[in-house]
Amino acid sequence: MFDTLSLATIPPEDEALRPKVRTLAMEAVAGMPLDRRARSWMGFDPAFSRKLGEAGLLGLTLPTEYGGAGRGPFARFVVVEELLAAGAPVGAHWIADRQSAPLIYNYGTEAQRREYLPRICRGEALFCIGMSEPGAGSDLAAVRSRAERTGEGWRLNGQKLWTTGAQHVDYMIALVRTSGGPEGRHAGLSQLIVPLDRPGVSIRPIEDLAGDSHFNEVFFDDVDLPPDALIGEEGQGWAQVTAELAFERSGPERIYSSHVVLDAWIEHLRKVGRADDRTAAIVGGLIARLATLRAMSLACTGRLAAGESPVVEASLVKDLGTSFEQELPLAIADDLAAHPQENPDPEIVAALRYLTLVAPSFSLRGGTREILRGIIARGMGLR
Amino acid sequence: MSEYLAPFEAMLDTLFPPGRVRAIDAGADWSDERAEVEKSGFLEALASEDGLPIGDVVTLWRALGYRAAPLAIGETMIDRSEQDADLAKPLLLAAAISGAADRVLSMTVDHANQRVQFGKPIGRQQAVQQQLAVMAEYVVAVRMSLDLASSGDWPTAEKAALAKVVAAIYAPQIANAAHAVHGAIGISADYDLQLYTRRLHTWRLEGGGETAWARKLGGSILSASDSSLDWMRRLLF
Repeated sequence: MFDTLSLATIPPEDEALRPKVRTLAMEAVAGMPLDRRARSWMGFDPAFSRKLGEAGLLGLTLPTEYGGAGRGPFARFVVVEELLAAGAPVGAHWIADRQSAPLIYNYGTEAQRREYLPRICRGEALFCIGMSEPGAGSDLAAVRSRAERTGEGWRLNGQKLWTTGAQHVDYMIALVRTSGGPEGRHAGLSQLIVPLDRPGVSIRPIEDLAGDSHFNEVFFDDVDLPPDALIGEEGQGWAQVTAELAFERSGPERIYSSHVVLDAWIEHLRKVGRADDRTAAIVGGLIARLATLRAMSLACTGRLAAGESPVVEASLVKDLGTSFEQELPLAIADDLAAHPQENPDPEIVAALRYLTLVAPSFSLRGGTREILRGIIARGMGLR
Repeated sequence: MSEYLAPFEAMLDTLFPPGRVRAIDAGADWSDERAEVEKSGFLEALASEDGLPIGDVVTLWRALGYRAAPLAIGETMIDRSEQDADLAKPLLLAAAISGAADRVLSMTVDHANQRVQFGKPIGRQQAVQQQLAVMAEYVVAVRMSLDLASSGDWPTAEKAALAKVVAAIYAPQIANAAHAVHGAIGISADYDLQLYTRRLHTWRLEGGGETAWARKLGGSILSASDSSLDWMRRLLF
């Protein structure tokens, strides 16, 4: 079962990108406290994103005619892995690079591709995801935001919720209803590109339990949009959003969310010279699981490289990966608490405190654990 | 996958059907089967000349686990290899666990699709689906760590440890999930599930369980100086 997931190796030409990304990532995190590095996805630094764009490290999978690098998913794997392992602030370009750009490339018109893709590749056009609403979380087909055709284009009304980065970025790709009502479920949904500086758009940040404000409420009050705001086909929003989610779920980001504390802890153990049997067993167990997840994530990347949309495989890797990401800070914190005489660096303690608080979100964002397991079960032929 | 797998599987299916596995478990002499395997030439799979790559041999070992066939067959291959047996034995056990885990997962999915309670197959219950999904994740994790450990030449100490740690962590969890979904029938001696789940537990501990092997892996990392990612890339990938 799941024989489609087979060991994949990063091609040498993609592996060759590693030193360049690492140098940039290390520059970006120099002097940055560990708990800020632990925020990685939530770290918003447009200047760093533009620097990555200049270095040709964004839009790696897009053709060169649109400003991309004309490489495959393995190149993106290497870049993302290095950025996350360092805890670099990737939040600004994160959504655009991972899913908006492939969505626009796959479903957009030629004009839309030329309008957005080169700017995404330069780190100049930043995006957020307009999926969740107050009554539509895991049940995404329940969205109520609605766009109606006017003489000159679209008029959008409604609300999005938990929209990460909306207060900073330029565009949202919103899943909205363009015909029928919520009872129509998957029918009548479309995706629109919404410039967030339009009149009628208001954005209110929501503070999270760690004191950060990354996600937002976004209100649309008679927002007028041009006809070419529609991305892809009218009424095909559900199919498009499913493909978009496969990109969202299949990257290496689902195993490295807590990574910076793993390295900080290993460094601490080396420094204090603690390598007793019990400690070594904890370290070894965690690394064995991480290496396995990396192999699984690479296998998934191999499916993407083969042109597939590995929905089930990505769900499998994401569920196991986020379980690991959630356990990691707990195990490390417990170990350090058992050795108070070692006086661990306050930075690692702060990073662990942060990760412990936000770790539940790891198996919520991009599709909850329960939804993913349902997808896996269907993939095994259970109905 | 090597061209040798299908004939090897066919041979095992003939020699070691579940009834015969039970008899051997009960102490039956299997020297006739052993002679058949000897005749097939597979015991030379790792012999220095005409040998197969370790990655291909691991798929043969998974076939042993899938059928609960004697691991002595794999051990003989290793003994005739003239290479460091201590590095290959954990891989044999991990491969056997991976094969048995595959078997147990497919038996459990079949059972969930067939067993009707509350007017529908239990596989339609979300609570059962969630358990099966997690079980599948563990089964895939065991296979991927094994594939990673057996890529390339003869396994290193780190690769051997990797495969055994992951197989040993998940073996009991896979067995438990299989029994949870099977209900009482899985506990009965007549039903074949126990042939595989009992082995998952035995093979997990043979030669050391997850803690014993994780210790070796952790010791290697702690005595190195590179980052965890670089260490993994250097020694495992």
